[in-house]
Amino acid sequence: MSLLKPFSKLPDLNTANILLVENEEQFQQNLADTLAEETAVTVNVRLAKSLPLPMENDESRPRIDLVVFIINLTSDKSFESAKASLKYLDPGYFLGKVCFVATNARHASVRTGCLDALRQLAALLHCPLLFAEDQVSTSSARRLLTILKVASGLVPNTTALYLSSLTRCTMPPDIDQPSFD
Amino acid sequence: DIPHMDNTSLDQTVETVGQNEGPAAEDYPAQEDTSPADMLRIKQQMANQCFEMTVQLNAGKSKRPCSTSQAERELPDCVSELEHVKTVHFNSTLALHRIQMWNAIAEKMKQTDPDATDLKAVSARCMALCSQIKRLQMETRNLQDEITEIQKERLEIKRLTHEKMKETQELLSNKEQPDSEKYKALLEKGQVNVETYKKMIIMAQNVLRGILLACKVNWLDEPNLREIVMTLEDFPISD
Repeated sequence: MSLLKPFSKLPDLNTANILLVENEEQFQQNLADTLAEETAVTVNVRLAKSLPLPMENDESRPRIDLVVFIINLTSDKSFESAKASLKYLDPGYFLGKVCFVATNARHASVRTGCLDALRQLAALLHCPLLFAEDQVSTSSARRLLTILKVASGLVPNTTALYLSSLTRCTMPPDIDQPSFD
Repeated sequence: DIPHMDNTSLDQTVETVGQNEGPAAEDYPAQEDTSPADMLRIKQQMANQCFEMTVQLNAGKSKRPCSTSQAERELPDCVSELEHVKTVHFNSTLALHRIQMWNAIAEKMKQTDPDATDLKAVSARCMALCSQIKRLQMETRNLQDEITEIQKERLEIKRLTHEKMKETQELLSNKEQPDSEKYKALLEKGQVNVETYKKMIIMAQNVLRGILLACKVNWLDEPNLREIVMTLEDFPISD
């Protein structure tokens, strides 16, 4: 099993490496362009359709600081592919180095329960869940960049694990069964 | 086993990074123009990475067997403890920053350069404004008290007026009754008198009619007599 490991390579100086995993391979291109515009640090954006990553690039690939799964809520295949890719991630990534981005959440053809299922998955894995529209706006890229900077150690006194308890997705309690502890 | 290998490779990586304080300088020849601030930043980044790797190593060491459900149950407690410590740390840092800032301001004010004079002028203005605010607030409070007093008095007067009105109404209604009672008694007496007089008049008329009929008086020719006889017909013959 070729797991992607977070600490198997040396980190790069003043660089942040991010991996965008998307089944449709559309949104990730725009997001990559917006992310690469950052000038303060060098942002390396790697694109992938799914995990596991091909073995041929393994030597030249840098150490990945943040793995982002881009899930299009209008297609079930997107979600399934992301879930299947999760198996190829080393558990060390789930301490704040994995992020989910959901697109098209406001689209009419979103199947009911799809967003809930994604939320539940993100809550189970203690990962943040961000939302973005089809057209990449600077604000969604900026949010991702903030998490990326923390994950690559560029923010002093903050590590990915520290941030994860602030950004992790939580399931809203059931409206039918109010729980007042 | 893959996890075991990972930890040893991790150990090696941490050792390497720890010994060299980052990758060797020869690997990055284009970095001569980095300023000291940049270098500090990069050093901090590497320190962060080392810290993360140490955490990862320590996580693997204290492995104790427990089921997933038990771990899930214990997780919220650990997280809340962590949150508590984080908040305490954050608050302490804030307090420390505040103290540092005030110390810096105080130190600056003790000096005599133009910045310090500006600072002193600004703080003097702040003090003046604050005392003015206090004064105005006192005035407002006094005025508010006066207003409340006046409102209380007004309410009291209203209440008294109400009471007086009620009293007068009671008196009026009481006065009407004794008058009407007297009036009723008089009315009854008057009516009794009227009845008596009526009976007397009827009797007198009957007597006159009897006399006229008995004496066979010719009343048609005499105008005065005819008038009187006409009026007799109004009254009913009572027995």
